[in-house]
Amino acid sequence: MKLDVTALGTFYQMAQEGAGLAAGRLTRMTDVDTRVGVTKLNFMRGSDIRSELGDGVRKVGVRVELTGALKGHAVIAFDRESAAHLVQTLQPSAGDGSPPEDADAEFDEMNRSAITEVGQIMHSGFIDGWADVLGSAIDVSTPEYVDGDSAEPFLNGVDTAPGTDDLALLFQSQIEAIDTEIEFKYYLFPDHDSMEDVLDQQGVSSDDGIEYDKLAGFDRLAQRGADEVASNVSTMTGIDTDVEIRRLNFVPLEVLPEEIDDEMLVGVAFEFDGVPSGYLLFLFDEASAREVVNAMLPTAPDDEFDAMGQSAIKELGNIMASGFLDGWANVLDTTIDHSPPEYNHDMGAAVIDPVVIQLGEEQEYAFVFDTSVQAADREFDCNIYAIPNESDLERAINDLPMDRIEEVPTKAEIEEVETDS
Amino acid sequence: MKTYGSEPGAPEPDPVRVGISEFEISDSGQRLKSYGLGSCVAVALYDDQSEVGGLAHVMLPDGDENDDMSERKPGKFADTAIRAMLRQMVESGASYTDVEAKLAGGGDMFEFESFGDGVGQRNVVAAQEELDKLGVPIVAEEVGGQEGRTVEFDTGTGVLSIRTADGDGTIEEL
Repeated sequence: MKLDVTALGTFYQMAQEGAGLAAGRLTRMTDVDTRVGVTKLNFMRGSDIRSELGDGVRKVGVRVELTGALKGHAVIAFDRESAAHLVQTLQPSAGDGSPPEDADAEFDEMNRSAITEVGQIMHSGFIDGWADVLGSAIDVSTPEYVDGDSAEPFLNGVDTAPGTDDLALLFQSQIEAIDTEIEFKYYLFPDHDSMEDVLDQQGVSSDDGIEYDKLAGFDRLAQRGADEVASNVSTMTGIDTDVEIRRLNFVPLEVLPEEIDDEMLVGVAFEFDGVPSGYLLFLFDEASAREVVNAMLPTAPDDEFDAMGQSAIKELGNIMASGFLDGWANVLDTTIDHSPPEYNHDMGAAVIDPVVIQLGEEQEYAFVFDTSVQAADREFDCNIYAIPNESDLERAINDLPMDRIEEVPTKAEIEEVETDS
Repeated sequence: MKTYGSEPGAPEPDPVRVGISEFEISDSGQRLKSYGLGSCVAVALYDDQSEVGGLAHVMLPDGDENDDMSERKPGKFADTAIRAMLRQMVESGASYTDVEAKLAGGGDMFEFESFGDGVGQRNVVAAQEELDKLGVPIVAEEVGGQEGRTVEFDTGTGVLSIRTADGDGTIEEL
Protein backbone atom coordinates (compact mmCIF):
# COMPACT_ATOMS: atom_id res chain seq x y z
CA MET A 1 0.00 0.00 0.00
CA LYS A 2 1.31 3.41 -0.95
CA LEU A 3 0.42 6.76 0.53
CA ASP A 4 0.74 9.94 -1.38
CA VAL A 5 0.24 13.51 -0.35
CA THR A 6 -2.92 13.97 -2.41
CA ALA A 7 -4.59 10.92 -0.91
CA LEU A 8 -3.49 11.87 2.60
CA GLY A 9 -4.85 15.33 1.88
CA THR A 10 -8.21 13.66 1.22
CA PHE A 11 -8.00 11.82 4.53
CA TYR A 12 -7.18 15.10 6.18
CA GLN A 13 -10.25 16.74 4.66
CA MET A 14 -12.31 13.80 5.90
CA ALA A 15 -11.05 14.31 9.43
CA GLN A 16 -11.74 18.02 9.29
CA GLU A 17 -15.16 17.72 7.70
CA GLY A 18 -16.15 15.04 10.21
CA ALA A 19 -15.04 17.14 13.16
CA GLY A 20 -17.05 20.11 11.87
CA LEU A 21 -20.25 18.09 11.61
CA ALA A 22 -19.66 16.38 14.95
CA ALA A 23 -19.14 19.76 16.65
CA GLY A 24 -22.34 21.13 15.13
CA ARG A 25 -24.35 18.16 16.33
CA LEU A 26 -22.86 18.28 19.80
CA THR A 27 -23.92 21.92 20.02
CA ARG A 28 -27.44 21.15 18.84
CA MET A 29 -27.78 18.39 21.40
CA THR A 30 -26.25 20.04 24.44
CA ASP A 31 -26.71 23.77 23.79
CA VAL A 32 -23.02 24.13 24.55
CA ASP A 33 -21.17 26.30 22.02
CA THR A 34 -18.40 24.34 20.41
CA ARG A 35 -15.70 24.96 17.93
CA VAL A 36 -13.33 22.70 16.09
CA GLY A 37 -9.75 23.10 17.17
CA VAL A 38 -6.77 21.47 15.58
CA THR A 39 -7.35 18.44 13.38
CA LYS A 40 -4.49 16.09 12.56
CA LEU A 41 -3.83 12.82 10.88
CA ASN A 42 -1.61 10.75 13.16
CA PHE A 43 0.33 7.67 12.45
CA MET A 44 0.65 6.02 15.82
CA ARG A 45 2.10 2.70 16.88
CA GLY A 46 -0.15 0.25 18.66
CA SER A 47 2.00 0.44 21.78
CA ASP A 48 1.66 4.24 21.91
CA ILE A 49 -2.11 4.10 21.44
CA ARG A 50 -2.35 1.62 24.29
CA SER A 51 -0.29 3.77 26.61
CA GLU A 52 -2.32 6.86 25.70
CA LEU A 53 -5.61 5.11 26.48
CA GLY A 54 -4.13 3.65 29.63
CA ASP A 55 -2.55 6.88 30.92
CA GLY A 56 -4.05 6.46 34.38
CA VAL A 57 -6.98 8.81 33.78
CA ARG A 58 -10.20 6.86 33.78
CA LYS A 59 -12.10 7.09 30.53
CA VAL A 60 -15.50 6.27 29.19
CA GLY A 61 -16.18 5.80 25.53
CA VAL A 62 -18.47 4.72 22.79
CA ARG A 63 -17.33 2.51 19.97
CA VAL A 64 -18.84 1.52 16.65
CA GLU A 65 -17.97 -0.74 13.76
CA LEU A 66 -17.94 0.66 10.23
CA THR A 67 -18.81 -1.09 7.00
CA GLY A 68 -19.34 0.14 3.47
CA ALA A 69 -16.94 2.59 1.80
CA LEU A 70 -14.65 2.50 4.82
CA LYS A 71 -14.40 -0.57 7.02
CA GLY A 72 -12.98 -0.60 10.50
CA HIS A 73 -13.72 0.59 14.02
CA ALA A 74 -14.08 4.01 15.56
CA VAL A 75 -13.82 4.82 19.25
CA ILE A 76 -14.62 8.08 21.00
CA ALA A 77 -13.09 8.32 24.48
CA PHE A 78 -13.92 11.03 27.04
CA ASP A 79 -12.03 11.59 30.25
CA ARG A 80 -14.36 10.54 33.04
CA GLU A 81 -14.66 14.09 34.27
CA SER A 82 -15.69 15.34 30.84
CA ALA A 83 -18.24 12.58 30.59
CA ALA A 84 -19.72 13.59 33.95
CA HIS A 85 -19.85 17.15 32.70
CA LEU A 86 -21.67 16.06 29.56
CA VAL A 87 -24.22 14.14 31.58
CA GLN A 88 -24.70 17.20 33.76
CA THR A 89 -25.25 19.36 30.68
CA LEU A 90 -27.80 16.96 29.25
CA GLN A 91 -29.66 16.27 32.49
CA PRO A 92 -29.10 19.33 34.66
CA SER A 93 -31.84 18.58 37.20
CA ALA A 94 -30.69 16.68 40.27
CA GLY A 95 -32.05 13.26 40.99
CA ASP A 96 -32.36 10.48 38.47
CA GLY A 97 -29.89 10.74 35.67
CA SER A 98 -27.52 13.25 37.24
CA PRO A 99 -23.92 12.04 37.45
CA PRO A 100 -22.68 10.45 40.67
CA GLU A 101 -21.12 12.87 43.16
CA ASP A 102 -18.16 10.63 43.82
CA ALA A 103 -15.63 10.96 41.01
CA ASP A 104 -14.80 7.25 41.16
CA ALA A 105 -18.35 5.95 41.29
CA GLU A 106 -19.85 4.06 38.38
CA PHE A 107 -22.20 5.82 36.00
CA ASP A 108 -25.73 4.49 36.34
CA GLU A 109 -27.85 3.19 33.51
CA MET A 110 -29.33 6.64 32.72
CA ASN A 111 -25.86 8.24 32.64
CA ARG A 112 -24.53 5.57 30.36
CA SER A 113 -27.38 5.87 27.95
CA ALA A 114 -26.91 9.66 27.83
CA ILE A 115 -23.18 9.24 27.09
CA THR A 116 -23.91 6.59 24.49
CA GLU A 117 -26.37 8.92 22.80
CA VAL A 118 -23.85 11.77 22.66
CA GLY A 119 -21.20 9.35 21.40
CA GLN A 120 -23.51 8.08 18.70
CA ILE A 121 -24.46 11.56 17.54
CA MET A 122 -20.79 12.54 17.36
CA HIS A 123 -19.81 9.35 15.56
CA SER A 124 -22.51 9.96 12.99
CA GLY A 125 -21.24 13.52 12.55
CA PHE A 126 -17.69 12.32 11.88
CA ILE A 127 -18.78 9.48 9.64
CA ASP A 128 -21.21 11.60 7.59
CA GLY A 129 -18.37 14.05 7.05
CA TRP A 130 -16.08 11.28 5.77
CA ALA A 131 -18.81 9.87 3.54
CA ASP A 132 -19.35 13.36 2.06
CA VAL A 133 -15.68 13.64 1.16
CA LEU A 134 -15.51 10.10 -0.26
CA GLY A 135 -18.82 10.48 -2.05
CA SER A 136 -20.09 7.08 -0.88
CA ALA A 137 -21.94 5.63 2.07
CA ILE A 138 -20.41 4.29 5.28
CA ASP A 139 -22.64 2.16 7.52
CA VAL A 140 -22.39 2.23 11.30
CA SER A 141 -23.18 -0.51 13.82
CA THR A 142 -25.12 -0.03 17.07
CA PRO A 143 -22.95 1.97 19.49
CA GLU A 144 -21.35 0.18 22.40
CA TYR A 145 -20.58 1.85 25.75
CA VAL A 146 -17.10 1.14 27.13
CA ASP A 147 -15.49 2.19 30.38
CA GLY A 148 -12.10 1.63 31.99
CA ASP A 149 -8.68 2.90 33.04
CA SER A 150 -6.65 0.80 30.60
CA ALA A 151 -6.71 0.36 26.85
CA GLU A 152 -8.20 -3.11 27.05
CA PRO A 153 -11.93 -2.37 27.26
CA PHE A 154 -11.61 0.14 24.42
CA LEU A 155 -9.71 -2.13 22.07
CA ASN A 156 -11.04 -5.54 23.06
CA GLY A 157 -12.48 -7.25 20.01
CA VAL A 158 -11.35 -4.43 17.70
CA ASP A 159 -9.72 -6.64 15.09
CA THR A 160 -8.40 -3.64 13.17
CA ALA A 161 -6.49 -2.25 16.19
CA PRO A 162 -2.77 -2.16 15.39
CA GLY A 163 -0.22 -4.53 16.89
CA THR A 164 2.52 -3.12 19.13
CA ASP A 165 4.85 -2.12 16.29
CA ASP A 166 2.23 -1.52 13.61
CA LEU A 167 1.34 1.94 12.56
CA ALA A 168 -2.32 2.95 12.61
CA LEU A 169 -3.75 5.95 10.85
CA LEU A 170 -5.72 7.96 13.37
CA PHE A 171 -7.87 11.02 13.03
CA GLN A 172 -7.20 13.37 15.87
CA SER A 173 -9.66 16.20 16.34
CA GLN A 174 -10.25 18.68 19.08
CA ILE A 175 -13.72 19.96 19.61
CA GLU A 176 -13.60 22.66 22.21
CA ALA A 177 -16.69 23.40 24.17
CA ILE A 178 -16.54 27.13 24.81
CA ASP A 179 -16.47 27.94 28.56
CA THR A 180 -16.83 24.23 29.38
CA GLU A 181 -14.33 21.50 29.92
CA ILE A 182 -15.21 18.65 27.62
CA GLU A 183 -12.27 16.73 26.27
CA PHE A 184 -12.18 13.62 24.20
CA LYS A 185 -10.06 11.66 21.77
CA TYR A 186 -11.31 10.12 18.59
CA TYR A 187 -9.70 7.02 17.15
CA LEU A 188 -10.39 5.51 13.76
CA PHE A 189 -8.88 2.11 13.10
CA PRO A 190 -9.45 1.48 9.41
CA ASP A 191 -9.22 -1.98 7.94
CA HIS A 192 -5.96 -2.22 5.96
CA ASP A 193 -7.54 -3.49 2.73
CA SER A 194 -10.38 -1.02 2.93
CA MET A 195 -7.95 1.84 3.34
CA GLU A 196 -6.00 0.59 0.36
CA ASP A 197 -9.21 0.64 -1.70
CA VAL A 198 -9.89 4.21 -0.62
CA LEU A 199 -6.34 5.20 -1.58
CA ASP A 200 -6.75 3.50 -4.96
CA GLN A 201 -9.92 5.46 -5.59
CA GLN A 202 -8.00 8.64 -4.84
CA GLY A 203 -5.81 7.78 -7.79
CA VAL A 204 -2.55 6.86 -6.09
CA SER A 205 -0.54 5.08 -8.75
CA SER A 206 1.94 2.44 -7.79
CA ASP A 207 4.82 4.67 -8.85
CA ASP A 208 4.09 7.61 -6.62
CA GLY A 209 3.93 7.96 -2.92
CA ILE A 210 5.47 6.42 0.13
CA GLU A 211 5.40 2.71 0.82
CA TYR A 212 3.36 2.25 4.00
CA ASP A 213 5.62 -0.47 5.42
CA LYS A 214 8.64 1.73 4.88
CA LEU A 215 6.93 4.59 6.62
CA ALA A 216 6.42 2.25 9.57
CA GLY A 217 10.11 1.33 9.38
CA PHE A 218 11.18 4.95 9.29
CA ASP A 219 8.95 5.64 12.24
CA ARG A 220 10.62 2.89 14.28
CA LEU A 221 13.84 4.66 13.52
CA ALA A 222 12.46 7.93 14.75
CA GLN A 223 11.55 6.15 17.97
CA ARG A 224 15.15 5.15 18.48
CA GLY A 225 16.31 8.66 17.64
CA ALA A 226 13.92 10.00 20.25
CA ASP A 227 15.13 7.53 22.88
CA GLU A 228 18.65 8.62 22.08
CA VAL A 229 17.71 12.26 22.59
CA ALA A 230 16.19 11.51 25.99
CA SER A 231 19.29 9.61 27.01
CA ASN A 232 21.56 12.45 25.83
CA VAL A 233 19.56 14.91 27.90
CA SER A 234 19.96 12.70 30.95
CA THR A 235 23.73 12.45 30.37
CA MET A 236 24.20 16.18 29.85
CA THR A 237 21.96 17.52 32.59
CA GLY A 238 21.58 14.71 35.10
CA ILE A 239 17.81 15.11 34.67
CA ASP A 240 16.31 11.68 34.20
CA THR A 241 14.10 11.98 31.12
CA ASP A 242 11.95 9.73 28.98
CA VAL A 243 10.10 9.91 25.69
CA GLU A 244 6.51 10.46 26.76
CA ILE A 245 4.57 10.84 23.56
CA ARG A 246 5.66 10.32 20.03
CA ARG A 247 3.61 10.71 16.92
CA LEU A 248 4.07 11.02 13.23
CA ASN A 249 1.55 13.61 12.10
CA PHE A 250 0.41 14.56 8.66
CA VAL A 251 -0.98 18.09 8.82
CA PRO A 252 -1.35 21.28 6.82
CA LEU A 253 1.63 23.39 7.84
CA GLU A 254 -0.47 26.13 9.43
CA VAL A 255 -1.76 23.70 12.06
CA LEU A 256 1.66 23.74 13.77
CA PRO A 257 1.61 27.32 15.10
CA GLU A 258 -2.14 27.02 15.74
CA GLU A 259 -1.75 24.19 18.19
CA ILE A 260 0.91 25.82 20.32
CA ASP A 261 -0.42 27.65 23.36
CA ASP A 262 -0.06 31.38 23.63
CA GLU A 263 2.58 31.02 26.34
CA MET A 264 6.23 32.00 26.29
CA LEU A 265 8.58 29.33 24.99
CA VAL A 266 12.30 28.91 24.62
CA GLY A 267 13.12 27.39 21.27
CA VAL A 268 16.31 26.08 19.72
CA ALA A 269 16.00 25.63 15.95
CA PHE A 270 18.17 23.98 13.34
CA GLU A 271 18.00 23.56 9.64
CA PHE A 272 19.32 20.24 8.39
CA ASP A 273 20.60 19.38 5.00
CA GLY A 274 20.89 16.07 3.17
CA VAL A 275 18.25 13.53 2.18
CA PRO A 276 16.03 14.44 3.89
CA SER A 277 16.52 18.16 4.51
CA GLY A 278 14.25 20.19 6.75
CA TYR A 279 13.98 21.83 10.15
CA LEU A 280 14.28 20.62 13.69
CA LEU A 281 12.87 22.54 16.64
CA PHE A 282 13.23 21.96 20.38
CA LEU A 283 10.68 23.87 22.41
CA PHE A 284 10.91 24.24 26.19
CA ASP A 285 8.45 26.00 28.44
CA GLU A 286 10.17 28.67 30.56
CA ALA A 287 10.28 26.58 33.74
CA SER A 288 11.91 23.69 31.90
CA ALA A 289 14.44 25.97 30.21
CA ARG A 290 15.40 27.37 33.64
CA GLU A 291 15.78 23.84 34.94
CA VAL A 292 18.11 22.98 32.04
CA VAL A 293 20.27 26.05 32.58
CA ASN A 294 20.58 25.42 36.30
CA ALA A 295 21.44 21.78 35.70
CA MET A 296 24.13 22.59 33.14
CA LEU A 297 25.89 25.58 34.69
CA PRO A 298 28.17 25.09 37.70
CA THR A 299 26.60 28.02 39.57
CA ALA A 300 23.04 29.26 39.29
CA PRO A 301 22.90 32.49 37.24
CA ASP A 302 20.87 35.56 38.29
CA ASP A 303 19.01 35.41 35.02
CA GLU A 304 18.69 32.01 33.38
CA PHE A 305 18.12 33.60 29.99
CA ASP A 306 21.31 35.70 29.90
CA ALA A 307 24.14 34.96 27.46
CA MET A 308 25.50 32.07 29.58
CA GLY A 309 22.08 30.51 29.91
CA GLN A 310 21.33 30.85 26.23
CA SER A 311 24.62 29.26 25.37
CA ALA A 312 23.89 26.31 27.69
CA ILE A 313 20.48 25.74 26.13
CA LYS A 314 21.96 25.96 22.64
CA GLU A 315 24.62 23.44 23.58
CA LEU A 316 22.03 21.00 24.84
CA GLY A 317 20.01 21.62 21.66
CA ASN A 318 23.05 20.78 19.59
CA ILE A 319 23.54 17.45 21.34
CA MET A 320 19.85 16.65 21.05
CA ALA A 321 19.85 17.51 17.34
CA SER A 322 22.81 15.22 16.70
CA GLY A 323 21.13 12.41 18.62
CA PHE A 324 18.01 12.82 16.57
CA LEU A 325 19.55 13.14 13.13
CA ASP A 326 22.40 10.65 13.48
CA GLY A 327 19.89 7.84 13.83
CA TRP A 328 18.25 8.85 10.59
CA ALA A 329 21.54 9.28 8.76
CA ASN A 330 22.98 5.95 9.91
CA VAL A 331 20.06 3.89 8.75
CA LEU A 332 19.67 5.84 5.52
CA ASP A 333 23.42 5.42 5.06
CA THR A 334 23.83 9.07 4.26
CA THR A 335 25.01 12.30 5.84
CA ILE A 336 22.62 14.80 7.34
CA ASP A 337 24.32 18.02 8.38
CA HIS A 338 22.73 20.54 10.66
CA SER A 339 23.23 24.27 11.08
CA PRO A 340 24.43 25.93 14.28
CA PRO A 341 21.57 26.38 16.75
CA GLU A 342 19.33 29.45 16.57
CA TYR A 343 17.96 30.53 19.94
CA ASN A 344 14.61 32.19 20.40
CA HIS A 345 12.61 33.12 23.48
CA ASP A 346 9.18 34.33 22.49
CA MET A 347 5.44 33.64 22.27
CA GLY A 348 4.84 30.02 21.31
CA ALA A 349 3.46 30.37 17.82
CA ALA A 350 6.04 33.01 16.85
CA VAL A 351 8.86 30.54 17.52
CA ILE A 352 7.61 28.08 14.92
CA ASP A 353 5.90 30.15 12.24
CA PRO A 354 9.06 31.22 10.35
CA VAL A 355 9.84 27.56 9.62
CA VAL A 356 6.27 26.87 8.59
CA ILE A 357 6.37 29.83 6.23
CA GLN A 358 9.63 28.78 4.63
CA LEU A 359 8.38 25.23 4.00
CA GLY A 360 5.00 26.61 2.92
CA GLU A 361 6.58 28.13 -0.17
CA GLU A 362 6.88 24.62 -1.60
CA GLN A 363 4.36 22.39 0.13
CA GLU A 364 0.91 22.55 1.69
CA TYR A 365 1.14 19.58 4.04
CA ALA A 366 3.99 18.19 6.10
CA PHE A 367 4.93 15.00 7.85
CA VAL A 368 5.87 16.10 11.34
CA PHE A 369 7.75 13.88 13.76
CA ASP A 370 6.40 15.10 17.04
CA THR A 371 8.08 13.97 20.26
CA SER A 372 7.66 14.98 23.86
CA VAL A 373 10.51 14.34 26.30
CA GLN A 374 9.66 14.67 29.97
CA ALA A 375 11.17 14.03 33.38
CA ALA A 376 9.29 12.08 36.00
CA ASP A 377 10.47 13.95 39.06
CA ARG A 378 11.33 17.45 37.84
CA GLU A 379 9.94 20.29 35.80
CA PHE A 380 11.24 19.29 32.40
CA ASP A 381 9.12 19.26 29.31
CA CYS A 382 10.54 19.52 25.81
CA ASN A 383 8.59 19.23 22.59
CA ILE A 384 10.53 18.27 19.52
CA TYR A 385 9.30 18.89 16.01
CA ALA A 386 11.23 17.43 13.08
CA ILE A 387 9.71 18.70 9.86
CA PRO A 388 11.41 17.31 6.77
CA ASN A 389 11.03 18.77 3.35
CA GLU A 390 8.29 16.57 1.93
CA SER A 391 9.80 15.57 -1.41
CA ASP A 392 13.14 14.74 0.25
CA LEU A 393 11.39 12.66 2.86
CA GLU A 394 9.57 10.66 0.24
CA ARG A 395 12.85 9.96 -1.51
CA ALA A 396 14.60 9.05 1.74
CA ILE A 397 11.86 6.70 2.88
CA ASN A 398 11.56 4.91 -0.43
CA ASP A 399 15.33 4.34 -0.42
CA LEU A 400 15.15 2.98 3.10
CA PRO A 401 16.83 -0.43 3.33
CA MET A 402 14.33 -2.26 5.54
CA ASP A 403 16.83 -4.92 6.56
CA ARG A 404 19.15 -2.32 8.06
CA ILE A 405 16.67 -0.72 10.43
CA GLU A 406 17.14 -3.10 13.32
CA GLU A 407 20.88 -3.52 13.06
CA VAL A 408 22.25 -0.04 12.57
CA PRO A 409 23.42 1.82 15.67
CA THR A 410 21.77 5.18 16.25
CA LYS A 411 24.14 6.31 18.95
CA ALA A 412 25.21 9.89 18.61
CA GLU A 413 28.69 10.90 19.54
CA ILE A 414 28.68 13.44 22.28
CA GLU A 415 31.44 15.94 21.85
CA GLU A 416 32.11 19.53 22.69
CA VAL A 417 30.33 21.76 20.23
CA GLU A 418 31.10 25.42 19.76
CA THR A 419 27.77 27.19 20.09
CA ASP A 420 28.88 30.79 20.42
CA SER A 421 29.23 32.17 16.94
CA MET B 1 -8.20 26.53 11.39
CA LYS B 2 -11.02 27.40 13.73
CA THR B 3 -14.43 26.82 12.29
CA TYR B 4 -17.23 27.56 14.63
CA GLY B 5 -19.65 24.70 15.08
CA SER B 6 -22.27 26.92 16.70
CA GLU B 7 -25.77 26.97 15.36
CA PRO B 8 -26.87 30.13 13.53
CA GLY B 9 -27.98 32.81 15.93
CA ALA B 10 -25.67 31.72 18.75
CA PRO B 11 -23.64 34.62 20.20
CA GLU B 12 -20.27 35.03 18.51
CA PRO B 13 -17.22 34.85 20.76
CA ASP B 14 -15.43 38.12 21.44
CA PRO B 15 -12.68 38.59 20.50
CA VAL B 16 -12.94 36.42 17.41
CA ARG B 17 -9.77 34.47 16.85
CA VAL B 18 -8.24 34.90 13.41
CA GLY B 19 -6.04 31.86 12.83
CA ILE B 20 -3.07 31.63 10.52
CA SER B 21 -4.18 31.80 6.84
CA GLU B 22 -7.57 33.20 7.82
CA PHE B 23 -9.23 36.59 7.69
CA GLU B 24 -12.36 37.95 9.33
CA ILE B 25 -14.36 41.08 8.76
CA SER B 26 -16.89 42.75 11.02
CA ASP B 27 -19.44 45.53 10.67
CA SER B 28 -20.59 45.27 14.28
CA GLY B 29 -17.60 46.50 16.24
CA GLN B 30 -16.19 43.07 17.10
CA ARG B 31 -12.63 42.62 18.24
CA LEU B 32 -10.50 40.39 16.01
CA LYS B 33 -7.38 38.76 17.45
CA SER B 34 -4.34 36.89 16.13
CA TYR B 35 -1.89 35.25 18.53
CA GLY B 36 1.88 34.93 18.30
CA LEU B 37 2.73 36.32 14.88
CA GLY B 38 6.36 35.57 14.15
CA SER B 39 7.13 36.02 10.47
CA CYS B 40 3.41 36.08 9.61
CA VAL B 41 1.88 39.48 8.94
CA ALA B 42 -1.37 40.93 10.30
CA VAL B 43 -3.12 43.22 7.83
CA ALA B 44 -5.87 45.36 9.36
CA LEU B 45 -8.18 47.28 7.04
CA TYR B 46 -10.67 49.87 8.27
CA ASP B 47 -13.21 52.34 6.96
CA ASP B 48 -13.89 54.71 9.84
CA GLN B 49 -16.99 56.19 8.17
CA SER B 50 -18.92 52.94 7.93
CA GLU B 51 -17.00 51.32 10.83
CA VAL B 52 -16.40 48.19 8.80
CA GLY B 53 -13.06 46.50 9.46
CA GLY B 54 -11.16 43.32 8.81
CA LEU B 55 -8.06 41.48 9.98
CA ALA B 56 -6.01 38.98 7.94
CA HIS B 57 -3.29 36.71 9.37
CA VAL B 58 -1.24 36.00 6.28
CA MET B 59 1.43 33.36 5.99
CA LEU B 60 2.92 33.69 2.51
CA PRO B 61 3.57 36.55 0.08
CA ASP B 62 2.28 35.59 -3.32
CA GLY B 63 -1.06 33.92 -4.02
CA ASP B 64 -1.23 34.94 -7.68
CA GLU B 65 1.72 32.65 -8.31
CA ASN B 66 -0.13 29.82 -6.64
CA ASP B 67 -3.70 30.15 -7.86
CA ASP B 68 -4.73 26.57 -7.15
CA MET B 69 -4.16 27.13 -3.45
CA SER B 70 -5.13 30.79 -3.24
CA GLU B 71 -8.57 30.02 -4.68
CA ARG B 72 -9.17 27.59 -1.83
CA LYS B 73 -7.47 29.66 0.85
CA PRO B 74 -7.23 33.31 -0.17
CA GLY B 75 -6.38 34.25 3.44
CA LYS B 76 -3.08 32.42 3.24
CA PHE B 77 -1.36 34.91 0.92
CA ALA B 78 -0.80 38.64 1.36
CA ASP B 79 -2.09 39.66 -2.06
CA THR B 80 -5.19 37.47 -2.25
CA ALA B 81 -6.11 38.01 1.40
CA ILE B 82 -6.05 41.78 1.02
CA ARG B 83 -8.20 41.68 -2.11
CA ALA B 84 -10.71 39.18 -0.69
CA MET B 85 -11.01 41.10 2.58
CA LEU B 86 -11.45 44.42 0.80
CA ARG B 87 -14.16 42.94 -1.43
CA GLN B 88 -16.08 41.54 1.53
CA MET B 89 -15.77 44.82 3.41
CA VAL B 90 -17.21 46.75 0.46
CA GLU B 91 -20.05 44.23 0.27
CA SER B 92 -20.69 44.95 3.95
CA GLY B 93 -20.95 48.68 3.41
CA ALA B 94 -17.36 49.98 3.44
CA SER B 95 -16.40 52.58 0.88
CA TYR B 96 -13.28 51.48 -1.05
CA THR B 97 -11.77 54.95 -1.14
CA ASP B 98 -12.10 55.42 2.62
CA VAL B 99 -10.33 52.20 3.59
CA GLU B 100 -6.97 52.55 5.34
CA ALA B 101 -4.48 49.87 6.34
CA LYS B 102 -2.31 49.04 9.36
CA LEU B 103 0.35 46.33 9.36
CA ALA B 104 2.04 44.37 12.13
CA GLY B 105 4.33 41.35 12.30
CA GLY B 106 6.77 40.07 9.72
CA GLY B 107 9.61 39.53 12.18
CA ASP B 108 12.64 37.44 11.32
CA MET B 109 13.83 35.41 14.26
CA PHE B 110 16.06 32.86 12.52
CA GLU B 111 19.04 33.48 10.29
CA PHE B 112 19.07 30.24 8.35
CA GLU B 113 20.81 30.06 5.02
CA SER B 114 17.65 28.77 3.36
CA PHE B 115 15.68 31.80 4.55
CA GLY B 116 17.45 34.24 2.22
CA ASP B 117 16.41 37.85 2.93
CA GLY B 118 14.05 36.65 5.61
CA VAL B 119 10.61 35.11 5.35
CA GLY B 120 8.98 37.86 7.42
CA GLN B 121 10.50 40.58 5.30
CA ARG B 122 9.09 38.95 2.14
CA ASN B 123 5.60 38.95 3.64
CA VAL B 124 5.79 42.60 4.68
CA VAL B 125 6.97 43.71 1.23
CA ALA B 126 4.21 41.70 -0.47
CA ALA B 127 1.52 43.29 1.72
CA GLN B 128 2.92 46.79 1.17
CA GLU B 129 3.08 46.29 -2.61
CA GLU B 130 -0.46 44.92 -2.87
CA LEU B 131 -1.89 47.79 -0.80
CA ASP B 132 0.03 50.26 -2.93
CA LYS B 133 -1.33 48.65 -6.09
CA LEU B 134 -4.87 48.92 -4.78
CA GLY B 135 -4.38 52.51 -3.62
CA VAL B 136 -5.05 51.72 0.04
CA PRO B 137 -2.86 53.96 2.23
CA ILE B 138 -0.86 52.38 5.06
CA VAL B 139 -1.44 54.74 7.98
CA ALA B 140 0.64 52.86 10.55
CA GLU B 141 2.90 49.85 10.75
CA GLU B 142 4.95 47.96 13.31
CA VAL B 143 6.87 45.38 11.31
CA GLY B 144 10.17 43.51 11.14
CA GLY B 145 12.54 43.04 14.05
CA GLN B 146 13.14 39.77 15.83
CA GLU B 147 10.14 39.53 18.08
CA GLY B 148 6.76 37.88 18.06
CA ARG B 149 3.55 39.91 18.33
CA THR B 150 -0.03 39.27 19.38
CA VAL B 151 -2.46 41.72 17.80
CA GLU B 152 -6.03 42.70 18.52
CA PHE B 153 -8.03 44.84 16.11
CA ASP B 154 -11.04 46.71 17.46
CA THR B 155 -13.40 47.18 14.53
CA GLY B 156 -15.46 49.62 16.60
CA THR B 157 -12.60 52.13 16.74
CA GLY B 158 -10.02 50.99 14.17
CA VAL B 159 -7.32 50.70 16.86
CA LEU B 160 -4.78 47.90 16.36
CA SER B 161 -3.23 46.86 19.71
CA ILE B 162 0.08 45.06 19.66
CA ARG B 163 1.63 43.08 22.50
CA THR B 164 5.23 41.85 22.27
CA ALA B 165 6.93 39.27 24.41
CA ASP B 166 9.92 41.30 25.56
CA GLY B 167 7.91 44.31 26.66
CA ASP B 168 6.82 44.67 30.28
CA GLY B 169 3.27 43.84 29.31
CA THR B 170 2.68 47.25 27.73
CA ILE B 171 0.48 47.34 24.69
CA GLU B 172 1.29 49.54 21.76
CA GLU B 173 -1.66 51.01 19.93
CA LEU B 174 -1.60 51.88 16.24
